[in-house]
Amino acid sequence: MCDTERVQREAQEGLSWVMEQGAAYADVRVHLDDTAESLVMYDGNLEQNETLSQQGLGVRVLWGGAWGFCGTSDLRRVHDCFARSLGNARTAAALVAIPLEMGEMPGHRSTYQSPVQVDPFSLPLNERIDLLRGLDARLREDWIQRRIVMATTQKKTVQFWNSEGTCIEKRLTNVFGTVMIMAPDKDGQMQRRSHNLYTRGSGTRGWEMITDRELFGNHVDRVKQELADLLPADVLAHGRRSVILLPGQAWLQVHETIGHPLELDRILGYELSYAGGSLVTPGDIGTLRYGSERLNVSSFGNIENSPGSFGFDDDGTPERDYLLIDRGILVNVLSSRAMVNEVNHVAGRTVVKESGGAARATTFYRTPLERMTNVNILPGTDGTVEDIVAATVDGIIVDTPTSWSIGSNREHFHFGCEIAWEVKDGRRTRVLRNPTYQGHTIEFYNALDAVGDASSWRVEQVENCGKGEPNQIMQLGHGVPVVRFDNVLSGEKG
Amino acid sequence: MLDAQTREILRDATDRARRRGIQASLLLHRERSHLLRLGNSSVSLNTTETLTRLKARVVDGCREATHTSLRELTSAQDALDTLEITVAKVREAPAREFEPILERVEEGVAQTGQYDPALAELDGTSKTEGYARIMRDIGPTPTYSGAWSSGATETYLISTATDDEAYHRCTDSQFSLVLKHPTQEWELRTDQSGWRVVDFSAERAVADIMRVLPVYQQREGIKVEPGTYTVLFGPQAMAEILGMALWTGFHGRMYEEKQGWTSHNAMGDTVFGANITVTDDPGDPDTFRYAFDLGGTKRRRYPLVERGCIAGLMYDIETAAKYKRPLTGHTTQTTSVVMDGGHGPDDALAAVVDRERVLWIPALHYMHVPSMAKGLFTGSSRFSAVVVERGKIVAPLFSSRVTESFQNLFNNLAVLAAERVSVNLSDTYGRRAPVAWSIPRYAVAEGVHITDSADSF
Repeated sequence: MCDTERVQREAQEGLSWVMEQGAAYADVRVHLDDTAESLVMYDGNLEQNETLSQQGLGVRVLWGGAWGFCGTSDLRRVHDCFARSLGNARTAAALVAIPLEMGEMPGHRSTYQSPVQVDPFSLPLNERIDLLRGLDARLREDWIQRRIVMATTQKKTVQFWNSEGTCIEKRLTNVFGTVMIMAPDKDGQMQRRSHNLYTRGSGTRGWEMITDRELFGNHVDRVKQELADLLPADVLAHGRRSVILLPGQAWLQVHETIGHPLELDRILGYELSYAGGSLVTPGDIGTLRYGSERLNVSSFGNIENSPGSFGFDDDGTPERDYLLIDRGILVNVLSSRAMVNEVNHVAGRTVVKESGGAARATTFYRTPLERMTNVNILPGTDGTVEDIVAATVDGIIVDTPTSWSIGSNREHFHFGCEIAWEVKDGRRTRVLRNPTYQGHTIEFYNALDAVGDASSWRVEQVENCGKGEPNQIMQLGHGVPVVRFDNVLSGEKG
Repeated sequence: MLDAQTREILRDATDRARRRGIQASLLLHRERSHLLRLGNSSVSLNTTETLTRLKARVVDGCREATHTSLRELTSAQDALDTLEITVAKVREAPAREFEPILERVEEGVAQTGQYDPALAELDGTSKTEGYARIMRDIGPTPTYSGAWSSGATETYLISTATDDEAYHRCTDSQFSLVLKHPTQEWELRTDQSGWRVVDFSAERAVADIMRVLPVYQQREGIKVEPGTYTVLFGPQAMAEILGMALWTGFHGRMYEEKQGWTSHNAMGDTVFGANITVTDDPGDPDTFRYAFDLGGTKRRRYPLVERGCIAGLMYDIETAAKYKRPLTGHTTQTTSVVMDGGHGPDDALAAVVDRERVLWIPALHYMHVPSMAKGLFTGSSRFSAVVVERGKIVAPLFSSRVTESFQNLFNNLAVLAAERVSVNLSDTYGRRAPVAWSIPRYAVAEGVHITDSADSF
């Protein structure tokens, strides 16, 4: 097994060595205690009972304006890892058009720990399984054909050191949960309804989240009733109407059409070969009317109990709470240290003053890149969900994604949802199935005409956002209220 | 074969489990991956990862558990620790209503035919030179992006069910290049796939880009209105669509649980046009070939669609256990899907010379399935899309959304290229998983619904 003190000592030696070789910057992340568990109860059977434990280190070296990286699960080879990373950076430096710079940041010693009451891994496995079994029993009905209850828990300790003298230890815990049921509709096509564990933004984020009935268990009866309502429902007709997104759908709208296009690496063109670019240009920062006056979007949001809250990013930058969109105007983006100089150079003015603390790596063997933290629509002044419904003449309310397809620069989108409710003259009139809606991002957000107040706002957790080459999965959050958009194309023809 | 020390560790752990009456499997996955990423005409990342994963699975009657250790395997104790954690988990697991199937190596195999030592050692220097050469040949005006991933992977499976071992060693390479114009903002792309160093050709990358570069440089983009069009799909687009169609229609779980679009069909039913034949063929040289799946089942040539009719469904080990179906060799991400070609000429443009207007969409971005039950998919054009009139490229095509059903699309493929090409579908989420399919070089689809379009690329 690993000798913790030796790894730490060799990591420090490695940092000193690469700097002596002429590196401009270097950092190392060591994961010694990194565990995840996935439990899936499917039709009452524990079909997934998986754990993953991992150990290793990742070394990043900036040399000649270019990054080299090396990750390994072999903790005996710390020095080799530094040598390989430096070699990779030197090779990369042979083809550099705009040298990357990290800027300056004073070294600091810091720690961060997710607020947790009950460490999920401190409980016996059968206690975690019992929770799933209890929920599954409550989902069971003769007319329900599929029942799925899932719980994913993650716990990791990350030690970070860089060449500036920064030393950070992070202890992060995440808990995710889902209940889902399926049954055939009147046309014999399978419909589903689900609920994902969410947070109110404050409090703790251990196992106590998933046992909080308000956040999870109490939604079982609602989900069952809504699926029952879906089965005899008509299909949403094609046409233009107001679309009201509940938080269970609004989070993905924000994720795909605000969060991703505001990642600075996408804006600068570093993700073109995989995730895509952005409709935003560096010159747009500070000037682009992204949405209506009602649209206020923040990063981080001082949310204490979300997967998007992590204390310090993998550049060593503290999390920062700042506005991305202020009364409809794009004012900032999601950034890491190495992109700040470049975006200001391309824009020809200072459009980003400092790193937004968004450099995140999924684990030790992947390199940090621009990632969402918590990207949030701030609560508005248009009242509760029912207030907004009451003020809607012709529209639909939609909830929970089934499909999402977005243009490569996030300029347009098409979403499918689990359920819709028709709204006519201020009243919910009936349930509709197979709802979809589509639009063009800037036009859509400029048609935002109602934003719910704090009563409708909640933090939706995202377990599996994919991005980057090599591919990475990241966990994050979105604080969102109910929102209404005017004149949206929805439903499919035919 | 796997190095002797590691093999001995794993064989010993399996023997010990067997002696204790434990039903267990051990799956080792070792990778040495390298990726060079290009962004804004610079190398933006040059990375190496060396990773070892050991996954243990234990079955005890109707109970099951798995545990994966991602750390270096240095001693017999490491393997035993992984096994013991799994044994402890299975004791706490509730019994299922059905008995899980333990991995069983059906036939001893050591497959190393697609391993190139030169590719295993390929590093950033060669890749940087490759990109630099392409950039010199095409010129400095566009900005260049891309990624070139290559690696060597070892997979070793052993279980208490038999004495046999299954071993696979391979190399794989996935190359992409994207050009973006700084002011006109168009994006062009070319890809290459292979398992040998010699499978990469800078000349071929340049030639592929030059096929459409002039029209992008000289002509304004066209926005098409929603409606039905004849679409010339490239192999990447076809592979993506076919992949979604198979996932939602030909996976045993989707079928048995009536979630997918074939749920109301029976084996032998006609779902596609008579010109569509699709097979999972682990012997096809265009694909990354795996002789066994992760359940230990020998992978054989397996028909999925024969002349438009459902010929087979893919069952993983969990679904086969639950629905008591035979194992089909599909407990794997690494399929070798082959879509038969037709009679179309080699030149895609020659195939549409008699058509007034055709949209040529080489690739689709971010496809998804709004209705699995109806087989409805949607995705938007990206990279190198053009409008073709009477067999001539006339203008670049702005980003256009295709929303269509699998049934309509595969019943209306008027022309399929005779020649097939290898399309790389690998990903590196978690472990390295090389996947390549063999797909007709192009397919001409009639009556495709374009449901939205942008006024940009």
